[in-house]
Amino acid sequence: MRKGSMPGYKNIKTALLLAILLLTGSILRAQQALPQQRFDAANSLYQQSKFTEAAAAYQQLIDEGYAIKALYFNAGNAYYKAGKTGEAVFNYEKALQLAPRDEAAKHNLALANQKVNGFVDELPLVFFQQWWRQLQQLHKPNGWAVGCILFFWLVIAGVMLNTFLPGWKNKFLRWGNYALGALFALYLVMAIDTYAVANNHQSGIITHSNIKVKTAPDDNSKDAFEVQEGMKVHIADATKDYCKISLADGKTGWISCAWIKRL
Amino acid sequence: MKDRFSIRKYIFSVLCCLGLVVCASAQDLRFTTSVSSNAVTLDEPFQIQFMLENGTNITSFTPPSFKDFEVLQGPSQMQGQSIFNGRRSEYFALNYVLQPKHVGSFTIPGAQARVNGNVIKSNPVLIEVRKGNAQAQQPQQQPQQAIPQHRAQSGGGISEELSDGILKKGEDISEKLKKNIFLKVEVDKTNLYEGDQLTATYKLYTRLPTNSSVTKVPAFKGFSAKDIELPNPPQATEERVNGVPYKVFTIRKTLLFPLQSGTLELDPVEVDNQVRLVKLVGNGKRNRNGRDPFEDFFNDPAFKDPFFDDFFNRPEVEYQDVPYKIQSNPIKINVKPLPVEGRPLSYNGAVGNFKMTAVVDKTTLSTDDALTLKVTISGHGNVNLLNAPKVEVPSGFEKYDPKMTDDIEKNSNPLSGSRQFEYVLMPQEAGKHTIPAVEFSYFDPAANAYKTLRSEAFVIDITQGKRVKEDKHDFGVGKNDLVKIDGGIQQWTKSRSWFIISPWFYALLILPLLIAGAVIFYKRRKDYNTTNAALLKHRYANKVALKRLELAARYLKEGKDKAFYEETSRAVWGYLSHKLKIPFADLSKQLIQDKLAARHINGTNTSDLFELIDNCEVALYAPAHNNDKMQGTYSKAVTIISNLEDALKN
Repeated sequence: MRKGSMPGYKNIKTALLLAILLLTGSILRAQQALPQQRFDAANSLYQQSKFTEAAAAYQQLIDEGYAIKALYFNAGNAYYKAGKTGEAVFNYEKALQLAPRDEAAKHNLALANQKVNGFVDELPLVFFQQWWRQLQQLHKPNGWAVGCILFFWLVIAGVMLNTFLPGWKNKFLRWGNYALGALFALYLVMAIDTYAVANNHQSGIITHSNIKVKTAPDDNSKDAFEVQEGMKVHIADATKDYCKISLADGKTGWISCAWIKRL
Repeated sequence: MKDRFSIRKYIFSVLCCLGLVVCASAQDLRFTTSVSSNAVTLDEPFQIQFMLENGTNITSFTPPSFKDFEVLQGPSQMQGQSIFNGRRSEYFALNYVLQPKHVGSFTIPGAQARVNGNVIKSNPVLIEVRKGNAQAQQPQQQPQQAIPQHRAQSGGGISEELSDGILKKGEDISEKLKKNIFLKVEVDKTNLYEGDQLTATYKLYTRLPTNSSVTKVPAFKGFSAKDIELPNPPQATEERVNGVPYKVFTIRKTLLFPLQSGTLELDPVEVDNQVRLVKLVGNGKRNRNGRDPFEDFFNDPAFKDPFFDDFFNRPEVEYQDVPYKIQSNPIKINVKPLPVEGRPLSYNGAVGNFKMTAVVDKTTLSTDDALTLKVTISGHGNVNLLNAPKVEVPSGFEKYDPKMTDDIEKNSNPLSGSRQFEYVLMPQEAGKHTIPAVEFSYFDPAANAYKTLRSEAFVIDITQGKRVKEDKHDFGVGKNDLVKIDGGIQQWTKSRSWFIISPWFYALLILPLLIAGAVIFYKRRKDYNTTNAALLKHRYANKVALKRLELAARYLKEGKDKAFYEETSRAVWGYLSHKLKIPFADLSKQLIQDKLAARHINGTNTSDLFELIDNCEVALYAPAHNNDKMQGTYSKAVTIISNLEDALKN
């Protein structure tokens, strides 16, 4: 009897353990409320002027991987109010990446940049760059991709009609096919370009103030100039520890990559 | 930087009136040595006077030894008192007339006296003895001797200027001006730290009646300057240089703070003078000649009245205004940079000795209120150059630039006072916040070290204000306010999905290609098949036809004439259909004729063919058993097919 009862006892134990695990898991899941609720809670913290706590709450959502313009925007606001200019600029830039034409984010970013010491505005784009940028914003990145697929289908269909159905063979269809082909090429290029722009991570925001920029990727090299928290820099090159940055005004130098938060 | 001088123009005039200059501080004890001339020629007698003013209870009076001089006369003692402007002064003086024995510079030490039990000493005097000039000696001797005599009469003993305004015969004007008017710059130190204070005083020394105006004021490059206000009109003081009294006017007194290290130069000051010189005409000389130097000794002080002198001794004079421009010497100041070692992080340029207080006006407030942090730095040093100490405001406060209020003591030397920095802090965030201690560092040049002052940290309790700044969040109203946060329900998608990198994108791109490929393939195959079948049919048409004809030949033998004709007709039609690639259903005589015509097959072949076809049709619909005819039809069919085969081969 005793011998027989032992394994049963063990079974009960493991079952209990499992149950406890499951319970705690479910409790944890319950605590991890829906993102919308947590977002609302963070918003109300913000409304109560508890900006640091609100920022932390937003940041948690961001860290979990949610990528929503409103989340980045609100986080930017909370960081701005809490006096963390660098984080504020970073989050506004992120929001603008998701919604390039968002006026509110642009406005708040401009405000945050006013707090950045030695802020240098980026050079205005040449007209064709502006056109390109505007064209890019005509569709969302996925819109370009969908359009690309659509035009490809149309081109194929047109070509097939043109070649196999003698009744459809005319020059209008042929020219239509050329036009569709051009549109397909444009949409494909745009889809690739928007993807590349959004994923190159070649720019970043400085997260600390008074960082000495070195002339070479070496601790002992000379100081060239200083960068301040919140400055947007272009990362031109990088070694293991050092990143070569260039500023909007053309200055370049090396700083430790730890000071840059890549966009 | 704060050079407030450049515009301000100094003009002061000096008018010395004859005979009525009185010691400003009549009640002060003064013991002075004065000589009639500092520079004498050998064998030229001069007078030296030791004068003790307001000395009560004089118990001893010891003149110095004149070892390099010969005492021609004296000591002659004078004692007296004068009342001027209601002030009484007493004096006691010893006069000697001396003659130098050697050429060179000699210092006559001061006389010693015991007054009220204290030993006091008069100032030493430097005498320069030059080689005698035979011509100049005689005329000079007389007036020189006359001077102390006159001074003694005036009572105060300070009025040499008067007689120095007299241009004696043979005297060089420029030499005289040079000797009697000059500028001097006094600095209290020439070697100091950057930011330390330096006092520069520009003084005009004169023994002549002059009307002077400052034409060039120094700019003090590299310094921050703060002027000390001088009385207006300028007040003259008296100073002795080498025992010779001068009237001294302070042109400018400035506190200077070097702003950079290195060797800096104090610019010179330039003064234009209009010197009024009196020329003696012959009359005066006669009078003077008549006077006996020894007369002094016996003269009763009551007799010696300035008016008396004026009236009787100088009846005939002539005035001459001489312009004379003078410049002070530039002075080099060596400024050391502040030491680097031990320099605190919070140091921002203060040099001197300071105290700091920091106060906040309240410790509990709501986000609607504002907090004021007052930092007051007082002491002496470069108060006017103090920079605001850096206040590390925690996040949750909005900081504005500090308001600066100065309270600098007027004419203080060293510069002292206080500077107050008022920081207005707007709390943005509710909760308990700590403002870290305010730190202020300065360099103490006396101790030659940096010192750091630190206030206490402030704990501020901030409650949520009632006013939710809705108006401020309005985008249209405040261009400098944040656009308020986004609320509302969001679509909670984790990271952005990129359609372009998803397999679907590529699948959808490839799919139409596949479809197109499939269609093309199918079509190709169909085409191939059709063309291929026709070819085969064409190739085997003869065989098929012959096979059919064999079958017909069997029917012929069996005497089934209907089947025979059917089979023959089918063989011919089928052959034509295959050979001419005409679908079976489309076959017609006309079409066949056209096709054959297109292939240039005409004449007997075609007519035989159609005859055969007609025969078959007739035989099918009007059966008449005729074995010979059937035989003939058969052989005709075979001939036609083989003929056509030959013709169509090409």
